[in-house]
Amino acid sequence: MNTVGIPRSLFYYYYKDLWQDFFSALKISYIISPITNKEIMDRGLKMSNSEMCLSLKNYLGHVDYLKDKCNYILIPRISNFKNDNQTCTNFWAAYDIVKNLFDINILHYNIDLNQKQTLKKGLYKIGKILNKKPRQIKKAYKYAIIQNNKRIKKNHQINLNKLKSKKTKILLVGHPYNLYDELIGKDIIKYLIKNDIELIYSDKFNPKITNHLSKKISKDLYFKYSKDNLGAIVYCQNQINGVIFISSFPCAPDSLACELAMRKLTIPYLNIVIDDNSSFTGLETRLESFLDMLGGKLND
Amino acid sequence: MKDCYLGVDIGSISTKGVIIDDNNNIITQAYIWTEGNPTKAVKNLLNILKQNLPDNYQIKGIGTTGSARKLIGLMLKASVVKNEITAHAIGTLTFYPNVRTILEIGGQDSKIILIKNGIITNYAMNTLCAAGTGSFLSSQAKRLGIDVKEFGDYALKSQNPVKIAARCTVFAESDLVHKAQVGYPKEDIIAGLCKSVVLNYLNNVGKGKKIVGPIIFQGGVSKNKGVVKYFKEILKEDIIVDKNSHLMGAIGIAILAKKHKTGKTYSLEMKNLKFQTKAFECHHCPNSCELLKIYRNNVLVDSWGSKCGKY
Repeated sequence: MNTVGIPRSLFYYYYKDLWQDFFSALKISYIISPITNKEIMDRGLKMSNSEMCLSLKNYLGHVDYLKDKCNYILIPRISNFKNDNQTCTNFWAAYDIVKNLFDINILHYNIDLNQKQTLKKGLYKIGKILNKKPRQIKKAYKYAIIQNNKRIKKNHQINLNKLKSKKTKILLVGHPYNLYDELIGKDIIKYLIKNDIELIYSDKFNPKITNHLSKKISKDLYFKYSKDNLGAIVYCQNQINGVIFISSFPCAPDSLACELAMRKLTIPYLNIVIDDNSSFTGLETRLESFLDMLGGKLND
Repeated sequence: MKDCYLGVDIGSISTKGVIIDDNNNIITQAYIWTEGNPTKAVKNLLNILKQNLPDNYQIKGIGTTGSARKLIGLMLKASVVKNEITAHAIGTLTFYPNVRTILEIGGQDSKIILIKNGIITNYAMNTLCAAGTGSFLSSQAKRLGIDVKEFGDYALKSQNPVKIAARCTVFAESDLVHKAQVGYPKEDIIAGLCKSVVLNYLNNVGKGKKIVGPIIFQGGVSKNKGVVKYFKEILKEDIIVDKNSHLMGAIGIAILAKKHKTGKTYSLEMKNLKFQTKAFECHHCPNSCELLKIYRNNVLVDSWGSKCGKY
């Protein structure tokens, strides 16, 4: 029986539910690497090169953890979503980097809508490699997509409800693989929740809506995920108290997106760049004072 | 007996303490170097303060701020522990209610606070990179063999400040070494350094912010006349530097302590206090948290750094 390994980083945070629904429907067993811990991060740091961003280093750590625990590791290459919707180069290169660094079987598909390589074709290809019949694959794909669309709708609704909350509201902007990673953004989320902040997440909006809205900040944006992030800011800037932008060092798309957000925003804005510094003290100072300002505690 | 309140601001480079009375007048103050040992620095600080405090005062509140605020807050059993941005803003607004912009450059942090009608509207702080802050200036002073306190006077002597890369202090440092070896006079290099601190600040912290007067400049670096001069020159605005500009954080936190008094009376006597910290790494899970245990008179009072909450 084949087991597919899914690294809990990068792509995982975009496709985790879709993949799991797809594999479960096909009765393919899969294993997901554990929540990032220091050991996994250290493994990644050890084998990566200094130019890589923290998130990619982390990804390699997860792959390293999985390498002898499964038959295949699932690594897509996501190149673009048509026209001007490019993804970050890490999403193109992860497959090649892993192939060069590790001696493992990789389960691989491309998403390149300019070349008509769709998610559907990708998942069909994977089903075939894992010896499933076309009829089964079709059914599983359909099921996974329906579930996924439901989830997007639901998450969007949750965000909309949160925007009506009476608590202090902060929009957390960032790539989901940074926001929700235990060693990258989780401490910040925990701190904010502990302080009774209503958190709205930039990745939980419907990208079809946010992508379009980003044109209000700039029409020349290149990266899809930057568009989604900035679009989320445009979407809710009149209903929130502040924006916190979390990015990992040295993320190239974010360096532009952060700067744009800072210049165009009229509400309080905090930019946090995470590298593998282990101390929370500096972060705490920034978060605490940011909350003080939002809550008006400075002025009492 | 009259009431008074102690504010302690423990920064990375210097430790500041003030004692104020009910009308926010400073009764006594002290400013010493932290030298990488905040607990020792605070013990010395309290000694100095105690000697200068008249006998008819009793301390009714203690507040701590600065990067070691939590540790010292535990040590002094402080009633208020707050970040330095809040403390600075409160201190400044008490004395200058009309201020619109606060520039602050400390030992490792630099920040800008924008205020409108006495309400903070926005602020920015350097990211975790400490480029262009006080610690950079003091290490360069050491390299050039002069006391950092004389830095400003040297800078004012210069007519032609040399150009020094302003983006990153690592680059700035190599630029500085080259300029010195080529033979530029010391004062021109120092003036160039001061100018690069200003440019660095405006590029990194002040970028995209509208800086309007009245502007107040504080933090340790505000005592450097060279930096003040170039702020004036580049912003084309008057820059106010209060005579207590280096103490503003401590004053702010003392004012906060006054607001949050508990009715308890505190002592400044620390001679018999044994305050220790022990660091160790927990290996119960792959996270290998770095833990810090804090002992007060050999009793464990707190431990920090655990992700799971086991300690």
